[in-house]
Amino acid sequence: MSAGDGDGGGRIDRLRDSMVALTEASAGERFLIAFAALALSILVGTGIILVSGFIATCRTPVLTLGGQTLCYDPVLVFDRLFLGALGDPLSGGWSPLNPQFAVTLRETTVLVFTGLSVALAFRAGIFNIGTQGQLVVGALASALAVLWVAPLLSGVVGTVVLIPFGLFVGAVGGGLYGAIPGALKAYADANEVITTIMLNFVASLVALYLINAYFGDPDSAANQTVPLPDYATFPTVLFDPRLDFSLLALLVAFVFVGGVYYLLEHTPFGYDIRTSGLQPEAAEYGGIDSARTVVASLTLSGALGGIGGAVYVLMVLGNFQTGIPSYGFDGITVSILAGNHPIGAVFAAFLFGVLKSGSSVVDFATDVPPQLVGVLRGLIILFVAMPEFFRMAGRRLASPGDGETPAPAGGADDD
Amino acid sequence: MTEEMGGLADRFGGLSGRTVIAIVAVFALAGLGVVSVVAPGSDAAALFGIIASKSALSSTLRLAAPIVFAALGGIFAEKSGVINIGLEGLLIISAFAAVYGTDVTGSLWAGFLVGVVSSTLLAAVFAVVCIEFRADQIIAGLAVWLIALGLAPFTSQVIYNGPNTASVQSFSTITVPVLAEIPVFGALFDATPAVYLMFLAVAVCWYTLNRTSFGRWVRAAGENPKALDTAGVTVSRVRYAAVLLSGVLSGMGGASLAFNIGQFTGNGPTMVNGKGFIAIVAYLFGNYNPIGAMLSTFLFAGLDAIQIRLQTVGVFAVPDSLIRTIPFVTVIVVLALVGKTRIPEAAGDHYESGED
Amino acid sequence: MLILDEPTAVLTPQEVEDLFGVFEELTEQGKTIVFITHKLGEAMNSADDITVLRDGKNVGTVPADEVTRNDLAEMMVGREVLMDVDRPPANPGDTVLSCENVVVEDERGVRAVDGVSLQVREGEVFGIAGVDGNGQSELVEAITGLDAADEGRVRFDGEDLTNARRQERTDAGMAYIPEDRQERGLVMEFDLVGNGLLGSQHTRPYANRGRIDWDRARDHAETIVDEYDVRPPNADVEAESLSGGNQQKFAVGRELARAPRLVVASHPTRGVDIGSTEFIHDRVNDLRAKGKAILLVSSKLDEVQSLSDRLGVIYEGELMDVVDPDAVTEEQLGLLMAGQRPDIEVGGLEVSG
Repeated sequence: MSAGDGDGGGRIDRLRDSMVALTEASAGERFLIAFAALALSILVGTGIILVSGFIATCRTPVLTLGGQTLCYDPVLVFDRLFLGALGDPLSGGWSPLNPQFAVTLRETTVLVFTGLSVALAFRAGIFNIGTQGQLVVGALASALAVLWVAPLLSGVVGTVVLIPFGLFVGAVGGGLYGAIPGALKAYADANEVITTIMLNFVASLVALYLINAYFGDPDSAANQTVPLPDYATFPTVLFDPRLDFSLLALLVAFVFVGGVYYLLEHTPFGYDIRTSGLQPEAAEYGGIDSARTVVASLTLSGALGGIGGAVYVLMVLGNFQTGIPSYGFDGITVSILAGNHPIGAVFAAFLFGVLKSGSSVVDFATDVPPQLVGVLRGLIILFVAMPEFFRMAGRRLASPGDGETPAPAGGADDD
Repeated sequence: MTEEMGGLADRFGGLSGRTVIAIVAVFALAGLGVVSVVAPGSDAAALFGIIASKSALSSTLRLAAPIVFAALGGIFAEKSGVINIGLEGLLIISAFAAVYGTDVTGSLWAGFLVGVVSSTLLAAVFAVVCIEFRADQIIAGLAVWLIALGLAPFTSQVIYNGPNTASVQSFSTITVPVLAEIPVFGALFDATPAVYLMFLAVAVCWYTLNRTSFGRWVRAAGENPKALDTAGVTVSRVRYAAVLLSGVLSGMGGASLAFNIGQFTGNGPTMVNGKGFIAIVAYLFGNYNPIGAMLSTFLFAGLDAIQIRLQTVGVFAVPDSLIRTIPFVTVIVVLALVGKTRIPEAAGDHYESGED
Repeated sequence: MLILDEPTAVLTPQEVEDLFGVFEELTEQGKTIVFITHKLGEAMNSADDITVLRDGKNVGTVPADEVTRNDLAEMMVGREVLMDVDRPPANPGDTVLSCENVVVEDERGVRAVDGVSLQVREGEVFGIAGVDGNGQSELVEAITGLDAADEGRVRFDGEDLTNARRQERTDAGMAYIPEDRQERGLVMEFDLVGNGLLGSQHTRPYANRGRIDWDRARDHAETIVDEYDVRPPNADVEAESLSGGNQQKFAVGRELARAPRLVVASHPTRGVDIGSTEFIHDRVNDLRAKGKAILLVSSKLDEVQSLSDRLGVIYEGELMDVVDPDAVTEEQLGLLMAGQRPDIEVGGLEVSG
């Protein structure tokens, strides 16, 4: 890692230059890896579509090869997935206000929150797999609280009061639910990966119970609450009110992106979080209370997930329903793809917004099951997790036949 | 403030968390037994009747088998230094593939084999990604889970036009004459092949880990890979073998799960429903000992069996969805009481051989 | 043939005895054993022949039953005459740090620090010498708040800080130069601006109403870089890109910039080049001249001997003796470090100044 001790400045300077070059490259490299991971996932996804296209039976195959029929057209699938999600920008008369693009932005909005939630915990060195559960709790808390308060208010005043109130309650609900694994990790050393996954199951079962037993809509067969009054939901701006997308909510999401960025980079607490995540022993040395940082960062992470749930209720659903889509798990992918950076999370969330929105277009336009997006999600995480693969591939491309050069093992001590 | 913190149980009183849980479980059972004698008509007596029955033990064993297989696989992988958090995914993929295999071939055991092969293939991908490409094991494990969580329902949709597969045969019980008549414990001799296979696997795994040179290599690869390297054994080869073994064992688990009912259901978290994660807690709680892992699985599976019985019997007026949280809450409580387990020294770390 | 490199570091004395029993069985079977140890007694008890290495050079091989501890100590420690450090005699003032019967147990319940009492006064350097792994790290952690003492008290300016948080101790005026700069002292992936802030991130003027003043943090880091001659002179580079000596200079500079009352320096020149070592030694002498209290832990005998005003020798968690570093001989020190009390009176300085 460091130059031999006792030599002059010249060698160190050269070493420094190469190190600086390396760190500068790594930001670009990270982007390249994210891009390559996406491309590779699409490639593998194509393979899966082809194989399953031959297995599936259908009336109108797109291709017949020696008695075998291919039911799915991968080009069409990815065309629908990406272009469809944007509302076909390549065809004429495209407007950014088109319905499918609104769906994409709607998904993006919720995913920004779950991505931030996972990223914040990650930066503190904590795997919060429980964003899903925190989102469910936040959504439920927010819906119930708003339903409870709404009759006291109405009109514009209602909106101005109830939206922040709903978001706040969602944050408190998700935050408290995130504090549980935080406290368990800090004070009982319980591994947060397992506890948060378990709490996901508990959250959805308890939500199901509460809706069934106490808060369900008596006029509905589905497990859901009565609808929120219109003035208690996010008002749409520019977009068609029927589209369940509010630019205002997206704006709120951006505010939180800025907030998390500010928190991490410009506050003492953010410094504590980053130090704990990078080097727990140095954090301890720097006077950082590791237990408190764990609880606080998981609480904040849960609060962000909870706000995501509140936004989902106040913008998309208009009430609470059980069986909330897996925004929390997508948040993991968003965060990993963004290198756990809050601003990167916006782009990653948009990519996943496209995938989620596009999957419904795919479902409509082709016979390919929409679960394909779930597979792609896993593949992207897998490929982003192995930067070494891309580095090796890069080296092999750069110098054919010389690709076996092993990277030096990192972390050599000079002491 | 900065001292090593044990589990809650360690902090209050100095007993190990494991001991506390074992004692609590035994006393709860004994207490219920006493109450049922003293007050035969009470709820507690009814509960004891449910727990101490042949059918409860029988369904405990049936529910335990998939988790035990996955836990055994997890032990091998983690002991060798690769934390396999993707056990859940391996169970999902093999449960689906086993049913599909049986549907195509018509043979239950051929389907079982298909399940094992599919899980092993996915484990092989995981192994390559972790060992060859030095991926973060936790993230790669999550990816394995999420891939399977998407792929199994996707394929089911392609083939069966729905997230649930068609129904195929399920395991029928093999009854050992006479022994099966023993009260309560007769369930041990009146069980599905998966249960017998589970006991066999636990024994074989215990022997392999503790009495064979391969077992020694696996443990060395996780504790002190450098020493293993020095002794002339290739660390990555041992780790590959261990991770593949976790695929084989989880595959047996997934297939056992599917053949409990003869169908794969792929809605939401699928029929696996967290069993892979419970398996991880089971082997942590069992301190990486196959027998310990099996016993702790019995605790979780027993609670699961009880909650299923409670749902049907309706002894208490506790709603269904709350009862279903019991196994998950138990896992959290157990994890909090056990606290930090001593994981293998080099688990999670990539090992780079000095002479490449 | 069997090679063992410091196998006893993690063993209890009883286990060490057992190990030596195994050695005997093996040698009787005709096996050859190479046993590397820091501890004199172990070598004398277990070996047939002892080879002494110093600074990578073979000093000599002697039969174990013909050599005395004194001979071995001389071979181990022997070195050129100390550089004459030209400094005024100590003029100690009030007691700043006082440890009273401090006990620290490790995870296995073994007493790593076993009842250490010492006091460090203004304007003096209290040195602690000893073979690595005899409880120095644990003692330092109990003083600086990375660990809490299991028994005994740690007082700072008369105030009981035994169970105080690490941050409280820093705020009270305790600076700490840790032995492991790459794990503890610096965040390797932070630039020097971020590293200059470590430990002060919640303190004015760097933190002001919940916001970090990065401009001030940058000035601070640049001042350290400048004053402590950190090369390259660029506060934007990551800590891991610096050489060991420059990392250490930066860490030392940051700690001394706290204007502390007490500096705890643990192996401050380990793995550091000669130039930086001299620089750090000069800073220690400056601090002493300014009336600061310094607790210096080092396994380099010439370092502790030349810088200290009083020198405690630690062995298996106990302070064997506190000696006058100018009066003690290397042999006597070597014996103390190996757990032997020399026959002659070597210092007998009062522990409590």
